Amino acid sequence: MLRADGVSFAYGDEAVLDEITVSVSEGGLLGVLGPNGSGKTTLLKLLAGLLTPARGEVSLDGLRLHGFARGALARRLAVVPQETELIFDYTVLDVALMGRYPHLGPFEFEGPGDLDIARRMLDATGTAHLETRPFRTLSGGERQRVAIASALAQFDTDVSSPGRVLLLDEPTASLDLAAQLDIMALVARLREEHRTTVVLCTHDLNLAARLCDHLALLREGTLAAAGRTDEVLTRDTIAGVYGVEADVHRHEATDRLTVLPLRTKESA
Amino acid sequence: MPSQAGLLPVVARATAGARRRRAWAVQVGFLLMAVLAVLCAPLVGPTAISLRQVFDPTVAFADNVDAQIFFIARLPRTLAGALVGGALAAAGVVLQALLRNPLATPFTLGVSAGASLGAMLVITLGVPLTLAGVPAVPVASFVGALAAVGVVYGLATMRRQGLSTNVLLLAGVTLNSLFSAIILFVQYLADFAQSFQAIRWVMGNLDVSSYQPLLWALPMLLVAAAAFARLPRALNVLTLGADSAAARGIDVLRTQRLAFISASLATGAAVALGGPIGFIGIIIPHLVRLLVGADHRLVLPASACLGAAFLVLCDTAARTLLSPMELPVGVITAMLGGPFFLWLLVTRGGGPR
Amino acid sequence: MTRIRRLLVVALAAWVVVLTAQNRPARIVSIVPALTEALFSMGAGPRVVGVGSFDRHPAEVETLPKVGGLIDPDMEQIIALTPDLVVLYGSQEDQVAQLERAGISVFVYAHGGLTDTLATIRELGGRTGQDVPADALADRIADQIAQVRSRIAERPRPRVMLVFGREPGTLSNVYASGGLGFLHDMVEAAGGDNVFSDVARESVQLSSESMLTAAPDIIIELSYDERMTPDRQAAEREVWNRLRAIPAVQAGRVHLLLGNEFVQPGPRMGDATEAIARAVHPEAF
Repeated sequence: MLRADGVSFAYGDEAVLDEITVSVSEGGLLGVLGPNGSGKTTLLKLLAGLLTPARGEVSLDGLRLHGFARGALARRLAVVPQETELIFDYTVLDVALMGRYPHLGPFEFEGPGDLDIARRMLDATGTAHLETRPFRTLSGGERQRVAIASALAQFDTDVSSPGRVLLLDEPTASLDLAAQLDIMALVARLREEHRTTVVLCTHDLNLAARLCDHLALLREGTLAAAGRTDEVLTRDTIAGVYGVEADVHRHEATDRLTVLPLRTKESA
Repeated sequence: MPSQAGLLPVVARATAGARRRRAWAVQVGFLLMAVLAVLCAPLVGPTAISLRQVFDPTVAFADNVDAQIFFIARLPRTLAGALVGGALAAAGVVLQALLRNPLATPFTLGVSAGASLGAMLVITLGVPLTLAGVPAVPVASFVGALAAVGVVYGLATMRRQGLSTNVLLLAGVTLNSLFSAIILFVQYLADFAQSFQAIRWVMGNLDVSSYQPLLWALPMLLVAAAAFARLPRALNVLTLGADSAAARGIDVLRTQRLAFISASLATGAAVALGGPIGFIGIIIPHLVRLLVGADHRLVLPASACLGAAFLVLCDTAARTLLSPMELPVGVITAMLGGPFFLWLLVTRGGGPR
Repeated sequence: MTRIRRLLVVALAAWVVVLTAQNRPARIVSIVPALTEALFSMGAGPRVVGVGSFDRHPAEVETLPKVGGLIDPDMEQIIALTPDLVVLYGSQEDQVAQLERAGISVFVYAHGGLTDTLATIRELGGRTGQDVPADALADRIADQIAQVRSRIAERPRPRVMLVFGREPGTLSNVYASGGLGFLHDMVEAAGGDNVFSDVARESVQLSSESMLTAAPDIIIELSYDERMTPDRQAAEREVWNRLRAIPAVQAGRVHLLLGNEFVQPGPRMGDATEAIARAVHPEAF
């Protein structure tokens, strides 16, 4: 279980997060929602151990994140940034193999096992056929999937090892519709087939409604609401957090909530 | 669409063994190229010398012109060329990855301007000839180089914890301009002959005519090389960005610091030895990536070897083409490097494709 | 009739004298060190009102306004000195045009060999109304050089390498005289054979190899740094020991000559030639 307990954070004098407590249980899928600038990405970085909270602490299965050795943590917890830009022509396989970093010594070359894992993860993300392509020639959706494969390749494959956590920052923000659906399907599948705990932050309410079973809704660095998706995603909370009047109803085909923003509160 | 990155083929579904063999082949190939260049260059020159005469034990070295041409005029400068070329190319690779900027060079962070200012001050102020047995110009240029990167590093780490590569880049560029202005000012105050000497220093010269300068540079280059050896895998991951690298278990700050210091050390030593010879630190890494792909485990050693071979070649041209006149080697690297780089920019587009 | 004729001649002569006196520049600026020195040597010194930043000779120039040099002539200051003749370098085309637009006469200096330098001195005398002392100065220099030539005339001519620039403490960036220019002429006049006389340039940048191959019997190194300490002079000569196969090094015939007369072709050119001759043929003096 990944848990942030009363964490606060500031960039210099500028407070970004104040006393946030969220948690996601093993195999769960937590969505972190909020308007731009509400602190979603900062919370994700705190959960990933990329930032150190000023107050409070983040723990994985009850152990403080900063008590982990870097490599040990990386083998259990991986992050996929919003966009992955490379400046050189690495192949797709090269990128996937970068996930094996925490498993190798400084002078070690990847062995057959590492290669096998990288390829399985490319397979799992539907990008195996791109193996020798330069990463920079891929479409946005393909890049995102390869980035996820690279993150997945970080995990210990030992079945007895404790669960792993995948943190996704705005996974669909810059993608077209088809690619968005692909990524959503991929995340859902990973969760089921690979016993992976997922935290994703997004400003896409429908994506969150579609995928997440729990939500944390941030507003200006504070936790506005948290809980099961259908408890959090209500007309009132959306109006309170986004200042938008929205229609929330259950979609018949997917049996999921959908949110249709109608008008801003000022114009109402 | 090419199904590979780099001209040397990457085989789809290659096994780990095949990948390892390819890596070895690439490294051995480039190493052979460097060794071949170093072995052949001293045999080439404007004067015809006889190898038998060079190694003739019956003639005293002081009287043996062929031996002196081989062992004093050619061999030290060939070795200097290999060391300087290798160091600059490797430093270029490391800095491009560190700054995540393919246009970075070993001189982007102010090293060459600092070194030039140091050399300039010694040449124009007429500082005593040697400091502790080492000629003052290389010492001053080395100190100038380290002072410049020290300032840049201080600025980049001042604002927040961690190393801001943006500040690093901007501070480097600014410092380059500032130092250039100071150089012009010093030059303005200097005598004509002195400023001419200083300008000539900037064009680079590998004619060390003794082994001493090599021995002074060697320890620093070895330290830098030892640091470089630890870097390639981390540099690969660093090109994903600092957060992605940290999430993969890399101690980003430590890696950046190691990369920055070792690249600066290598560049400073190279500049002290041969002057700020341009273009090697940028064209060689790009050429190597074009050939073998982006993996720094190949790019770094291959660039060092190709940089060594390339500079040895350029320097052989510098001392041979207009004999008995000597051409500034920096002019040759720039004349070969400039067009090549433009070609690269046009055909490869430079950025994401 | 003859009286009238004589009167006419006198009048004409007087007119010519007045004309030349009017043309005789009263305020001269010179930024070419060798010619500044020549102006003083030919008696035009009192009329010099501004000199180049690198001018050191004669001592009087120290008190005059410095107006820049080859790269950085300060045109504003030059014009503010209201000169009627400015002596400057041939490469300073923009400045020449600027001065001509301002109606100020210019004397353009062209670098050349010994004979060119003597001709330049005479010409400068003509332009400043100092024809007679200028000719005398040129004759004196020519005479000095002729004396040097006759002293060494019958002697074997050793091979000489004349170095005028080098990175201190190393054998990097060595510049030597090629087969053109006053340095080459001075070496030849001093009874040496310039080892790079077949290079049709004033200066040659040398590699260690070309110096080893040239194998001069004598190396003469010039430095304008007159204040170089004896220790440093010894150290600079010592540097040459790296190339022991050069006969000059083996024989200990590496000479360091200090003073700007060696690098500026001016009135002390005869002295400079003699000093070189003393180094090349010590036995002749």
